Amino acid sequence: MTPNLRDPADHVNEIIGTILSVDRLVKGCTNEIYLRITEDEFEPVLSLLSTRKFVLIGLFCAEDFMEVPGPNLLYTFEKKGAVLILVREVARSVSSIATVFPSASWFERECRDGFGVEFTGAFDTRRLFLHETYPEGFHPLKKSFRNAPIATKPSIDPADEYPFRKVTGEGVYQVPVGPVHAGIIEPGHFRFSVIGETIFNLEIRMFYKHRGIEKLAEGKTPDDCVRVAEAVSGDESVANATAFCMAVEKISRIQIPDRAWYMRTILLEMERVHSHLGDQAGMLVDVAFPLGASQFSVLREEVFRENEHLSGSRFLRGVVTPGGLSKDIRKERLYELSRFLEQLKKRYKIGLKIVLSTASVIDRFATTGVIRPALLRPLNITGPTARASGGKVDVRVNCPYGIYAEYPPKPSILKDGDVLSRFTVKAAEIMDSIDIIQRLIASIPEGTVMTDTPVTDGYTLTLIESARGENLAFVWIRDGKIERYKVRTASFCNWQAIEHAVQGNIVPDFPVINKSLNLSYAGTDL
Amino acid sequence: MVNAFSCVLKAKVTEEKPVRDEEIEQVGQGLKREIDAVFGGSIAIRELDTGSDNAAEIEINNLNNAFYDIERFGITFVASPRHADVLMVTGAVTHNMEIAARKTYDAMPSPKFVIAVGDDACDGGIFAGTYAVIGGADKVLPVDMKIPGNPPTPTQILEGLLALMRKAGKK
Repeated sequence: MTPNLRDPADHVNEIIGTILSVDRLVKGCTNEIYLRITEDEFEPVLSLLSTRKFVLIGLFCAEDFMEVPGPNLLYTFEKKGAVLILVREVARSVSSIATVFPSASWFERECRDGFGVEFTGAFDTRRLFLHETYPEGFHPLKKSFRNAPIATKPSIDPADEYPFRKVTGEGVYQVPVGPVHAGIIEPGHFRFSVIGETIFNLEIRMFYKHRGIEKLAEGKTPDDCVRVAEAVSGDESVANATAFCMAVEKISRIQIPDRAWYMRTILLEMERVHSHLGDQAGMLVDVAFPLGASQFSVLREEVFRENEHLSGSRFLRGVVTPGGLSKDIRKERLYELSRFLEQLKKRYKIGLKIVLSTASVIDRFATTGVIRPALLRPLNITGPTARASGGKVDVRVNCPYGIYAEYPPKPSILKDGDVLSRFTVKAAEIMDSIDIIQRLIASIPEGTVMTDTPVTDGYTLTLIESARGENLAFVWIRDGKIERYKVRTASFCNWQAIEHAVQGNIVPDFPVINKSLNLSYAGTDL
Repeated sequence: MVNAFSCVLKAKVTEEKPVRDEEIEQVGQGLKREIDAVFGGSIAIRELDTGSDNAAEIEINNLNNAFYDIERFGITFVASPRHADVLMVTGAVTHNMEIAARKTYDAMPSPKFVIAVGDDACDGGIFAGTYAVIGGADKVLPVDMKIPGNPPTPTQILEGLLALMRKAGKK
């Protein structure tokens, strides 16, 4: 593969240039491109982006953005590493784009709940993260609302209950599951419509864990806000903290020391290893293969203990901070990590061989929970899930950050899109992450891990490849405080894939399909 | 044909535990004694996530891995609150989970105990005083024991359980 020397932004210029003046494109701090757009231009630009196969990776709202008072919608598109953000002023109501870009549906419902923006022509106008007990007309992300406890309804009137889609027909019956599930797992509701054992339709309802992450971030200093970013999702602590810090550093033009980026990358890849290991162990539990599951859980526990030795936290929390890292790790410790990973790799391979040569496991994994490649773009499916369905998507490769341009991951792309493919892709990624960490340790430069540069005002959008896929962070700093922090995790997008993946499968295979997608409820519900 | 005697007399084909963590052994044996004395040999725990960041769930799950293997101390995690003696709550209680949390507690038979696991479940943590949460688990349920931490380690959770058993024994 020859390196692509063209600036990905050129591609956007070319395309937009066919209908609008490119002078209006404003480059942001992380090479993202902003385009303020009028209502008349919106439809033609949208259909242009749709025909040119842009993917809608985010849609969120910010008040008084770019000097335009009131709510502004930021439609974030991506193609081949180039990020284009259409900024649309909100008149009384705006048209929905969910019929053209299906991934917009959840985003629009999110904007409606948070800011009270009404979308005309939307096919789904139910509330999203504000469930039934929240009062009418309450929109917590508006600046006019000051974050404080509110009074909610003590009970839900049957007439106000959330209307699930109705699936009817001879022999169709419903199985409601959750929000409290049987295992030690996060809450969410699954409404299965089944015919016998076969799943005819699944509708998911999330956001039981809505903790108000975005509002909580507002008014905090960037240093304090890292803890909020870490709390988005426990097993993505490093990824979300890094995406946030990267945004702050880009805004403030802070160049962090090389050693800090090496160290951050080591932590990011360690997080990928423990996440994938836990995921694989869970998949094996769900097909009743405890021999493999317990081996992978043992390895994962060892990684957690190694994390604690490295950083003082089993989840590697409290290390990544704006400007670099809050603590350095000794050279000898890093060499120990490299040796640990060497023996982990050997034992992992033994476990993997046992798993992949067990007929009962393969029988459950193969052809189960298929995600068709055609779904990837419309739903913005990302991460290992997309790569197991033939998607060549990885932020580390497509839009490298930190030092990933020098240490690119080996892409492992499979085509079948079933549970087995996802398991296999994750296995390859564990080996690759170990390899990356060992190479980083071998060539890590000496020096400090922290720069002391003041934070300045501004905004930017960053992308990062967490273990689950592409995470997006939009950070806007005003008067030294966080004005808006929008985070969209890979799970928010990938959750919507599960409704498609389970169709035609049997209910007993649902847990393994769910686990193979490794979805974070916390990261979705915010 | 398997010879019943050879099963008893022959050396067992087992592997050494990967590590023997003296701290865990000590806490675990203490727990087992209390559980034997107070709960007649076993306790059943139901886990309830009311708004955590999932780190606490991961650590509670880790209690079942071969390092901790807490079933050997008489502790099992059960699928239904109707089978549970102890409710282990993680996360601050969100408005969206409040009703489900109350229903889960109500479904448990008495006598029952509630443990809050993690800073957020103890007092709301960083989410205290915001619009989306009610606060710690004690705002909604009668909490008997709090285990702070972000998240607490598996060993700390075991120590918390031991403290609860001692408290329950005195009642």
